[in-house]
Amino acid sequence: MKSLIAILISAALAFTFTACHDSRELMPAPETIFDDHGLHVITSFHNDRTRTISVLYGNDDALAYASQVPGVATPNVATPGTVFKLVTWDLKQNPLWFGSNINGGVQSVETVTVSAGQSAPAIGYTIENSVQKKDEKAVSSNAERISFIFAQRASVFP
Amino acid sequence: MNALKRNTYRNVAALLAGVIFTSFVVLQVNSPKIENPPVTSEFHGPEEVTRILKRSCYDCHSNETNLRWYDKVAPFSYKVAADVEEARKRFNFSEWDSIPKAEQEGKLWYIVNMIDAGKMPLPEYAATHPSAKVTPAELTILKNYVTNISRKHYAAGDTAAIIEKTKVSHVPTSINGIRYFDDYKNWKVISSTGRPDNGTSRIIYGNDIAVKALEENKILPWPDGAVIVKVVWNSQAPDADGNVKPGNFNNIQIMVRDTKKFADTEGWGFARFSGLDLKPYGKTASFATSCINCHQLAKGTGFVFDIPTQAK
Repeated sequence: MKSLIAILISAALAFTFTACHDSRELMPAPETIFDDHGLHVITSFHNDRTRTISVLYGNDDALAYASQVPGVATPNVATPGTVFKLVTWDLKQNPLWFGSNINGGVQSVETVTVSAGQSAPAIGYTIENSVQKKDEKAVSSNAERISFIFAQRASVFP
Repeated sequence: MNALKRNTYRNVAALLAGVIFTSFVVLQVNSPKIENPPVTSEFHGPEEVTRILKRSCYDCHSNETNLRWYDKVAPFSYKVAADVEEARKRFNFSEWDSIPKAEQEGKLWYIVNMIDAGKMPLPEYAATHPSAKVTPAELTILKNYVTNISRKHYAAGDTAAIIEKTKVSHVPTSINGIRYFDDYKNWKVISSTGRPDNGTSRIIYGNDIAVKALEENKILPWPDGAVIVKVVWNSQAPDADGNVKPGNFNNIQIMVRDTKKFADTEGWGFARFSGLDLKPYGKTASFATSCINCHQLAKGTGFVFDIPTQAK
């Protein structure tokens, strides 16, 4: 009988404990949502080595450029007015589901623009970093980043 | 007069005791019996894994239920029987191979996540059956087990040539009335995920109502009219720099907030459209029960897994 009472008490305690304790209560961080100002999502990718996750946005011209089948469409040159924005977030484990990695805060926003130059289109590149990540990104050159962004193919949407 | 009063009290007490005793006996006699049907296609895994599962899960999630004496005492026996019945319905380690292989993997991740969240073994069961508790070291064994299964399964990534869009001639509709729509492409991305557990990459969009709810931290509960759309691609193998890019389109998932219409599933309506022909998932409306069962793990964020959060 004593053991039965002990069991009942511990069961009651277990109920109380689970009711009060939920480590999965997360505060939304809406500041990590990128304001795309009407740009399209072109593609996305993540990287376990750098622990980052990125979404590539772009305007109509950028989407058309990234939707071309490489080697088939000619000429494979971005038209002036093309704008790409590559947004990169931290990648972390989703506390709500072991097995899923989700974006955290924004690390950087890279912008590639194509404008009409005198003989050939001029390509502009800028990067806005969040403060703490400033030095890490400086290693790869602008030219590398530009060709990386141009190389992305559009994801297939239904 | 006093003696009469005393006698009345005594009679009432005796009657009451009689009623209680009789009810107790009736409850015992009618107490549900738990049968153990034959083990037909048992789960097979590494010894250290099966040992944990047998000890912590098999009392309810198998045909090898081992009841303690106190599990058979009414009224507890009724709760135990109901729990076992529900547990076997969700998955049964004794009939494991009756589930398609791909689903088995998903179930294993679900099991690990339920344990990780402290939801399984059921806290009241673990309190009365302390040996069923899963220790942190055991949880690590289970986590490594599922991680290795998926790592092997998805190592090559999606190698198939990427199939471009095919036009769907009609607008597909889920059995619960949720229709596919294209407008989410104009919505904000609220989060993005890489899923090594099932080899997919995802982008999650929210409509204005959903984004506003996040901005104002009013997601408990989410307001009616909030809609969340998740686009899922099969992940390709990492490139030379480690970038995992989306391969073929896999499916699109929609969550619609309507507390009245979807009262049975915590106010959320679920729909999934698979493949570029957007085939709706679920033959009967009850398919959403399995959706919400899993989404219970995200109760703290209004049953939505992928809300924007800052890295710790």
